[in-house]
Amino acid sequence: MIDGLFILSLGIFVLGVLLPLAGSWKDLRIFRAGSHLCTIAGSVLLGAISLFLLLTGNDVAWTAYQPVAGFSLSFAIDRLSAFFLLLISVVSACVALYAAEYNEHLEGGLRRNLLSACTNLFILSMVLVVASANTFSFLFFWELMAGCSFLLVMYDYSHSATRKAGLFYFVMTHLSTLFVLLGIVLLFSSTGSFALAPAGVSPVSVIAFLALLIGFSIKAGIIPFHKWLPYAHPASPTPISALMSGVMLKIAVYGLLRFLLDVFSPELWWGILILVMGTVTAVLGIIYALKEYDIKAMLAYSSIENTGIIFMGIGLYVIFSSYQLPDLALISLLSALFHALNHAMFKSLLFLTAGSVVHATHTRDIEKMGGLIHRMPSTAGLFFVGALAIAALPPLNGFASEVLLFISFFSSIAVADPLFKVLLFLCLGLFALTSALSAACFVKAFGSVFLALPRSPESGRAEEVPFLMLLGPALLASACILLGLFAAQLFLVAGFTVPMPDLFLVGLLLLAMLVLTFAALFFTASRDVRITETWGCGTLSQQPAMEYSGHGFSEPIDIIFSTVYRTKMKNERTFFDQKNCIFAEGKAGIRLIRVFEEYLYLPVARASYAAAETVSRLQSGCLDTYLLYVFCAVIAVIVFLGWLA
Amino acid sequence: MNLSFGLYLVLNTAAVLLIAPLFVSIIKKVKAWTQGRSGPSVFQTYFTLAKLLKKETVYSSHSSWVMRLTPYVSIAAVLVAALFVPLVFVPEPVGGIGNIILLLYLLALARFFMALAGLDAGSSFGGMGSSREMSISAIIEPTTIIVFAALVFVFKSLNVFDMFAASAAAGAPATPTLILLGISLFIILVVETSRIPVDNPETHLELTMIHEGMILEQSGKNLALMELSAAVKLTLLMALLLNLIVPFGLTTTLAIGTIAVAAVLFVLKATVLAGIIGLFESSMAKMRFFRLPSLFAMAFFFSTLIIIIEVFA
Repeated sequence: MIDGLFILSLGIFVLGVLLPLAGSWKDLRIFRAGSHLCTIAGSVLLGAISLFLLLTGNDVAWTAYQPVAGFSLSFAIDRLSAFFLLLISVVSACVALYAAEYNEHLEGGLRRNLLSACTNLFILSMVLVVASANTFSFLFFWELMAGCSFLLVMYDYSHSATRKAGLFYFVMTHLSTLFVLLGIVLLFSSTGSFALAPAGVSPVSVIAFLALLIGFSIKAGIIPFHKWLPYAHPASPTPISALMSGVMLKIAVYGLLRFLLDVFSPELWWGILILVMGTVTAVLGIIYALKEYDIKAMLAYSSIENTGIIFMGIGLYVIFSSYQLPDLALISLLSALFHALNHAMFKSLLFLTAGSVVHATHTRDIEKMGGLIHRMPSTAGLFFVGALAIAALPPLNGFASEVLLFISFFSSIAVADPLFKVLLFLCLGLFALTSALSAACFVKAFGSVFLALPRSPESGRAEEVPFLMLLGPALLASACILLGLFAAQLFLVAGFTVPMPDLFLVGLLLLAMLVLTFAALFFTASRDVRITETWGCGTLSQQPAMEYSGHGFSEPIDIIFSTVYRTKMKNERTFFDQKNCIFAEGKAGIRLIRVFEEYLYLPVARASYAAAETVSRLQSGCLDTYLLYVFCAVIAVIVFLGWLA
Repeated sequence: MNLSFGLYLVLNTAAVLLIAPLFVSIIKKVKAWTQGRSGPSVFQTYFTLAKLLKKETVYSSHSSWVMRLTPYVSIAAVLVAALFVPLVFVPEPVGGIGNIILLLYLLALARFFMALAGLDAGSSFGGMGSSREMSISAIIEPTTIIVFAALVFVFKSLNVFDMFAASAAAGAPATPTLILLGISLFIILVVETSRIPVDNPETHLELTMIHEGMILEQSGKNLALMELSAAVKLTLLMALLLNLIVPFGLTTTLAIGTIAVAAVLFVLKATVLAGIIGLFESSMAKMRFFRLPSLFAMAFFFSTLIIIIEVFA
């Protein structure tokens, strides 16, 4: 019954792939709309199935295709898979609602049909990765997901920036597949099967774990493998950014969790490794986000930060498991999972509303926006909810998951050994810093984009987006609010007891205080209101140039963390006199260094290029030389085989 | 939710609202005395608030609903946060009220709105204030969380109510660990309430202002709400410090006699603390903004050391 429904939902997604392709004889909106309708229908059905499985705890398993023994495409859905399927379906449905309108405003004619088809295939591949029951089908659909997402990033291929981003993404995502492949092959060599079953403890399984960890880290955007995110997200169409950031990063998290829970028997140092990776990623991610003025790149960096937070939860889970503390381990794992869900909700909300803003102002530069709250009030309100959620403010969902992580950090202090406590303390401090910086980052984002005066003519002419582009984000925003308010109750329903404050009560108290204050002032205070010019020390009128810009806003943080940014300031002056009083001429400049690109990526790229150059000397193009190579190779093989025998 | 908790909600909120402006004035009075002035009356803040309520509210033509909503959210968040820190009577915690992390993030909620309101009118003063406030709050956060983690360790509970109940049961004198944590809490109090050496609450000069810059565009009843929420925040942080370190009089039983004694004792203790804050502020100059990170780094290492030495020894 359930597997039938699941296959039906897959069928609907396949229909969504075929429909716009079949309709590509003429540029008609109806085919694309049909495709998006398929996405929505498939997602709703999938969401219902996964919710049912999540709440009842039933498992479903079946084999779809088995060409030879031990080699099959088979699927299984347990509670963990069901959770991630729910995440995929909610985000996909809301994004499809948005895309149905947004894609029509894109350039590209018939390519838009391809966009809809590919989006459906992308979602389908993610669903199947999560539903995979063995490592073979996991890898197969993992690669399908990588391929589809590459095509989607390249939608706007006529721009050179997009081509660069696409290539960068292509290389990184295949590096990820390569490592995942290595891990899976190593596992196969040690266990002899593709099953997602315990692999035992052996040196090979440790190497396999490290390979898989790197593979999943590249896909999840863990620093230092993160560089593809701030390139790929701004380049791709908005619904794709939302899907990649909201969902695809979580598939990497799912992969890591699946292998940790089912295949490996984790040791303490694995947990410490994951925790440290997560902490470094979270702090550096938000510090880089604060510096960005491209709104989508900023959101991309913030995704990196949030993936770091999820990794911190997973790291703590492994650590507590190896210390035999099941209660704390469960809280940490739940915090990681819940944060994955919450991040999917608020980040796709933020990407979609940011996409609306970019659509209305034709720029991604937040310094050229401003004042949009008056011209796009609904978009502003929705973005505001997302900003509150991501800044981890109560009673929204971002706070609900971060408080769980805080609680597991706080409770760990009493039980771990001394050196380890120092590490945990450091991570806790950095986590607190991350969360406060993300509040600063989103004050900057909301302030620069929506508040004060427009800083460019386009921003002054912006108009509110159509209904469907508000409906999708609105659903996500309500999910953010509900997941926050009812977090404690949701955990009870799912059958977990966690020491979590009741945010619904807090929400009620906040509302009561608001209403009481309003009522008290309404009856006691003066109700006179005057609208006038902003006070500006006697200036006649307020100009956009007088506002605090986004760059200005993050200036203190730039300076405080200048060692992290490695900003280079240059200041050369010449003077006419010897006492350096009469200024002749001078140059000053600030150079922002892309640390990882310049110190890690480019050296690696140059080294591999140099290696290729060396190897290419062998290829002289002369037939005689090639015959010599073949001869030498044959001799070497004969000698090797003789030595083996 | 039982009757005593409901009673607590009403009474604690009323008490905080009533008493908060007093401590602001006491600090001002002490500062005036150290400067050789007689200073305003200790009831001046009440008069100012009453005056502001009668004034008209002026909005910038560029401002939006953020400006209009912020004073209400700010006071609501701070008042709910004040419920997490009982002044004189500690009831049994209900539904996570009193959670120390939630307390911290309710204050962050008020700050988030306040910073956005600073940017709303497009004035460069407001922007400067918001930018500095968010930067400072970010870099003090690790210290705050470490101190809170140490409190959680010492009292074996995440809940402020449980902590207060434990310290009330133990009574005085406080342990060395607690006194050292008290110093850290004092630093946090100074930073969170925008006082010298971090910020100067007295002036509107653009070189010094952080908090005052953010609320520069507020007027009339909205300004009154902002001033009141700053006062409530000061009171709740003072109560957190006092009820942990010198819990004399703090009661867990709901009886009029003990509560009246506790209330009198609390006002006395808080007056002394306000005097100390005033003296502390008078004894030093405001620090240059970019010198602050090193001060905070010192506070961070100081509190981490205390915790490592005292808590884990």
